[in-house]
Amino acid sequence: MKAPFSQFLAGQADGLKALIALLGRRYDYVSVLSTDSVGFAARISQRAKSVVNDTMTTERGHVVRVHKDGLYSEAAFNAFDPAHPEATAEALVRALDSQLATLAAAGVEPYETGALEDEPQTLFVEMETERLPEDEDMEALIASLSVISDEAVKRGEGVLDCIASAQSTHISKMFLTARRDLRQSYVYSEGTVAVIAAKDGRNELSHEGVSGRIGPELFAGLKDKLDDALRVSGELLSAGRVEPGEYDIIAAPDIAGLIAHEAFGHGVEMDMFVKDRALGAAYIGKRVGSDNVTMHEGALCAESVTAYAFDDEGTLAGDVIEIDRGILKTGICDALSALRLGVKPTGNGKRQNFEHKVYTRMTNTIFDSGHDKLEDMIASIKKGYLLEGVSSGMEDPKHWGIQCIMSRGYEIVDGKLTGKVVAPVVMTGYVPDLLGSVSMVSGDRAVSGNGGCGKGHKEWVKVADGGPYLKARARLG
Amino acid sequence: MKLNEIIDIVKASGADAWEITDIKEEGWEFYFIRHKLDQNRVKLVEHIRVTVYKKSEDGQFLGSAGGEIAPTADAEEAGRIVGGLIRNAAYVRNPFYTLNKPFEGMGEVPGEPVDPAAIAKDFIEAVRAVPETATEDINSWELFVSAKNRRFVNSEGVDVTYAYPDCMLEAVINARRDGHEIELYRLYKSGGCDRAALARDIGETLRYGKDKLVAKDTPNLEKADVVFSTDAALEIYDWFALRMNAAFKVRGLSDWEAGKPVAEGATGDRVTLTAVKRLPNSSRNAACDAEGAPVREAALIEDGVAKRFLGDRQFSQYMGLEESFQPGNLVASGGSLSADELRQGRFLEVVEFSDFQVNPMNGDIAGEIRLAYWHDGDTVTPVSGGSVSGTMADFAKTMRMSKETRQYDCWIVPAVTRLKDVTVTGAM
Repeated sequence: MKAPFSQFLAGQADGLKALIALLGRRYDYVSVLSTDSVGFAARISQRAKSVVNDTMTTERGHVVRVHKDGLYSEAAFNAFDPAHPEATAEALVRALDSQLATLAAAGVEPYETGALEDEPQTLFVEMETERLPEDEDMEALIASLSVISDEAVKRGEGVLDCIASAQSTHISKMFLTARRDLRQSYVYSEGTVAVIAAKDGRNELSHEGVSGRIGPELFAGLKDKLDDALRVSGELLSAGRVEPGEYDIIAAPDIAGLIAHEAFGHGVEMDMFVKDRALGAAYIGKRVGSDNVTMHEGALCAESVTAYAFDDEGTLAGDVIEIDRGILKTGICDALSALRLGVKPTGNGKRQNFEHKVYTRMTNTIFDSGHDKLEDMIASIKKGYLLEGVSSGMEDPKHWGIQCIMSRGYEIVDGKLTGKVVAPVVMTGYVPDLLGSVSMVSGDRAVSGNGGCGKGHKEWVKVADGGPYLKARARLG
Repeated sequence: MKLNEIIDIVKASGADAWEITDIKEEGWEFYFIRHKLDQNRVKLVEHIRVTVYKKSEDGQFLGSAGGEIAPTADAEEAGRIVGGLIRNAAYVRNPFYTLNKPFEGMGEVPGEPVDPAAIAKDFIEAVRAVPETATEDINSWELFVSAKNRRFVNSEGVDVTYAYPDCMLEAVINARRDGHEIELYRLYKSGGCDRAALARDIGETLRYGKDKLVAKDTPNLEKADVVFSTDAALEIYDWFALRMNAAFKVRGLSDWEAGKPVAEGATGDRVTLTAVKRLPNSSRNAACDAEGAPVREAALIEDGVAKRFLGDRQFSQYMGLEESFQPGNLVASGGSLSADELRQGRFLEVVEFSDFQVNPMNGDIAGEIRLAYWHDGDTVTPVSGGSVSGTMADFAKTMRMSKETRQYDCWIVPAVTRLKDVTVTGAM
């Protein structure tokens, strides 16, 4: 079935177009992004059960963007009467003028930017899904999550609890200007099995997830993740510490995704180029990795949680080759940054929600597959680790420093996995060194989109990343 | 749809209990590249959140479901949402508990008037007054000033309204030398604008930027004492607070017991951790917590001994805690030495991490070093790269804290914290 576009937004469209016309008398560019996204999140554990209608991306509201005298201004609001757009127009102009008066009194000058083009365009996309979150049988879903949680405690040694969670969101977004009318709706879902286990007074958490641009039918696969989560929790409880040093490593697809995201994803967000905050600007056309490294970015790259048809500025989704056989080709760009840099936007202008500003943000960030076999990669290592399980990562686009914290590493000695596990593992280093050391790439790949991504320490959005197994050299601690 | 109409719909819904939170916000946001205005934004929003509760027939269990009702919803839509919540609540079975009851002083709680224009002007003037130089300056900054009005109502008769400011400033600092430029990142949260604190902190960050340009690679120290004197220390004290949280305890994630030391055989300073109702310029000065429980002063840890768990209504009742609440402001203290005395001998003072973290599950610490000062006898060397690791379960026994304190929004913590025998992986 098609994920139906919001009837609420459809009912607001004419009033919003009238609002655009009213504001157009005063400003030389006006757009409105309207959102109406619904969903649920269920979380079942042995000690507490909850269900809510909120997910990271549920929202309903509007944001107006206007341009005048070289300055862009925005107003976000969630009370709008389509029968009386003049009242909203007056309130928004009054509020923005009040801000400008405060800024003028402080002697603040604008960072002058031209007006965005407004070429005629219409789009109406309702993407496929089997089920909708608003129609989900919550009684059955909660029962199935309870079975997973109960099973984990029954089967796992030292298991304190198991949190089985599922969330699904039906997104509807509408982007309007005087000459453009873009509407899209789709459903994405994600689920996690998190096992908490204890041994000798130490707690460990392992988690395995599923995600995709599909409806709640995704959760049928969640129970299959329990075996892995239980195995990993046992491994973490018996894990040792890694001896700090430089090692040959194999990054599993989730860690390849973390490297793609932290190492290069943030580093080529081109709003950072505008602020002169990214080293990548000076490396376009230059080598940043080995011949084995090719990396794609774009909402069209995979049918993940962030595979939309257009971004939050009305730019159609793209598929950009950022790194082609080790050479940095381009970055990704939102519309305003593109205007300032004199390049074309790539469909990466995203907001946390309608209340937040647009920044250049990642969608799917993915290393291309190669031709090596995992067993050959393991066999090629004298002493090193197979790294798996994302804990966290942090970017440093100005210096291409990288911090990746992984839940565990599996020791490899003389070409064989020894069965010894170290945890946690902190990988630090210089991105071109890390990517330059990629010497083998497996033929498969995986993409995952659980959780969220911040810019700095705020502005959380959905992203997905992944890749194949990568063999490289890295500093671990 | 007006709040009172939503309250009427919820009252008539058949819910056994309910809570509604209504937050109205006027937000002013300014985004700067250098000192030019990249964009101004205004936010005029209202969020009405409803939670309904259903009892099981035998009264042993209570289920809840929550969700937002948009101010644009009509009666039909609001009724449909509430009906869905009631159905979902019936599928969720938690051991029975009750909601918070009315408290003395409840009602329209007087607060300071919040004027976003005036607060924003203060921030702009404060940032523009930072003494930048040709080699150290502000790359870009973002200012978020909100005037919020919160009303909390529940089926037990709690009805409390209060206004509060909520501000955030993100600043990116540059420093350059011989064609090489570095950046440092700061995110400040606060109630309003404290010009002096802001000037001090950004000025300090400018100095760090200058030192990062001449930083050497962090040596492979294996084990070293590490000193925390910036906001990374909050992760350490938050680990103590989490382990005194009722939900953490009930979930089996904290083995601390009231009346027992939090670190057996401790030889270092003993932590005292206290929840307080108000802190100057905190963004968390609230009349009640998220569930309508009045916020009080209460010691969680006293002189290294776990005293009292605090937390939300559900888990507090499961633990049998009286007068519990979710703390907003916290004060950590207990240091026996001055900051200068703690900075003696060989130690690594880390002032910039990529992202320092303490794992709430097991206390493991981890963070990449962006700038630290290696104090090795008589020499002090700025260093960068590498990482720190170890576990708070060990460090809590020997950690030292300064008598001097420093405030970060809703936290007051020792200005200097020294952890002993931290694993320090070098940059090379």
